[in-house]
Amino acid sequence: MPALPAPGAGQVNEVWWISVIKALVIINLLMLTFAYMTWVERKVLARMQLRYGPNRAGPFGLLQPIADLVKLIRKESFFPASAVDILYIGAPVLSAFTALAVFSVIPFGPGWEVNGWTINGEVVNVPISLVLIFALSSLGIYGFIVGGWASDSKYALLGSMRTCAQMVSYEVSLTFAVLGVVIMGQSLSLVDIVHKQAETFWFFGPQFVGLLIFFIAGVAETNRPPFDLPEAETELVAGYHTEYSGMRFGLFQMGEYVNMITLSALAVTLFFGGWYGPYAPLGPLWFLLKLAVILFVFMWLRATLPRLRYDQLMRLGWKMLLPLATINAVVTAALVVAL
Amino acid sequence: MILAADAGNILVWIVWVVAAFACIGSGIAVISFSNPFYSALSLIGNLASLAALYLLLSAEFVAAAQVLVYAGAVMVMFLFVIAYLGGQADAPWAGGPSWQSIAAVCASAALLVEVIVVIGLKSGGRLSHEATVDSAFYGRPYQIGTLFLTDHLLAFEITSIVLLIAAVGGVILGAHSRETT
Repeated sequence: MPALPAPGAGQVNEVWWISVIKALVIINLLMLTFAYMTWVERKVLARMQLRYGPNRAGPFGLLQPIADLVKLIRKESFFPASAVDILYIGAPVLSAFTALAVFSVIPFGPGWEVNGWTINGEVVNVPISLVLIFALSSLGIYGFIVGGWASDSKYALLGSMRTCAQMVSYEVSLTFAVLGVVIMGQSLSLVDIVHKQAETFWFFGPQFVGLLIFFIAGVAETNRPPFDLPEAETELVAGYHTEYSGMRFGLFQMGEYVNMITLSALAVTLFFGGWYGPYAPLGPLWFLLKLAVILFVFMWLRATLPRLRYDQLMRLGWKMLLPLATINAVVTAALVVAL
Repeated sequence: MILAADAGNILVWIVWVVAAFACIGSGIAVISFSNPFYSALSLIGNLASLAALYLLLSAEFVAAAQVLVYAGAVMVMFLFVIAYLGGQADAPWAGGPSWQSIAAVCASAALLVEVIVVIGLKSGGRLSHEATVDSAFYGRPYQIGTLFLTDHLLAFEITSIVLLIAAVGGVILGAHSRETT
């Protein structure tokens, strides 16, 4: 057993206003990425289906996200008469807020020294960042559930019931899949895990099973096709956000996309060496590049796979992913102790 | 309050006051709502404010685990069941006091007495002693894991067996109801 470094060792505290500026920059970058994700996704889907996709607003349809934003803001925010006001309005806010907050612990660079000021490579560095990510994103689920319930509509309620069942089923596998990485990195801090990968090897090799489970469970957690049962258009109109319109719907949509970006960023951090790459000075660019590749796989899946049936979803989650993730964690633990 | 006095930190004190009152308020809300969905939401608020109190005690891991397991996973199941079954629950004390309500009141009275006794002893200085706090590892997963697997191994194993029994019970109940339908 190697000697355990003190948690947060080598961590230099930065001045508070640098953290504030960094948080502002990251949040805005995240929202910009979300806006252009919708454009990229529509383009990619269209090309895969031999269409052009959005091409009217600006060159190559590049202004489409801005047009969408203006449309959503100017649209009437419809309010069902029998909806529960506070919960109905608060639900999209909660899911968007937690989605944005989670990203604050993702490390995107090694940290820099500018004019004598220390800048860390993440907004906040907490020693238990991995647990914090899961804790916050599990709170974000309430936005979907409460929103569906408060709408007082059958479709919305059924959608939020499906969200409940799906999230609970796949959250367990997601957490267990990460356990192997935690055992190998011997830390719950994402920064430590990235450093460990730089010292040894990227964990996607030895933790390939873990990566597969993490990715499948992650697609299910973010309600992306082929696991988009909570908002299956053909069965539930639009699922839990059936009764939402205007920017309230926009917030839900933002929460979902940002969750997807965060999950991809987490996959990059845990399995693909974070900001490290063959040419070190590029730092955050490597991170962005890996992030883009994983996000593309998300879109690819959407264009390729049909939606699962409900019983298939449950069987995959409980009878395949969970036992596999458990075996993976146990085998990893045994190997780490033995070697 | 003790923590705030030591640190002289006004922010810690404010967070403590807000979290403590949120904790008590949401606790009262859990038992006074007639709609079980609101009660469950209040319980989530209660667990979250409890997590904030843990944070003030430097128990970051316990706080995060509390939010992840109880506020995140367990309460989702509560909401699931409540939203599915729906319906209005009976108002508390409807049809006169049942033995459960009387037992509940007795149990909470006992807890209240215990809290008062502890606070009394604490302020009398009879309970206070200097704990050795290793600042680098205090409240970290490393320390908690070490304690679980050394000093508190028996309690840890018994808890896991209780959970296993509960899981087996759940499977048996589920299988049984499937046969009858």
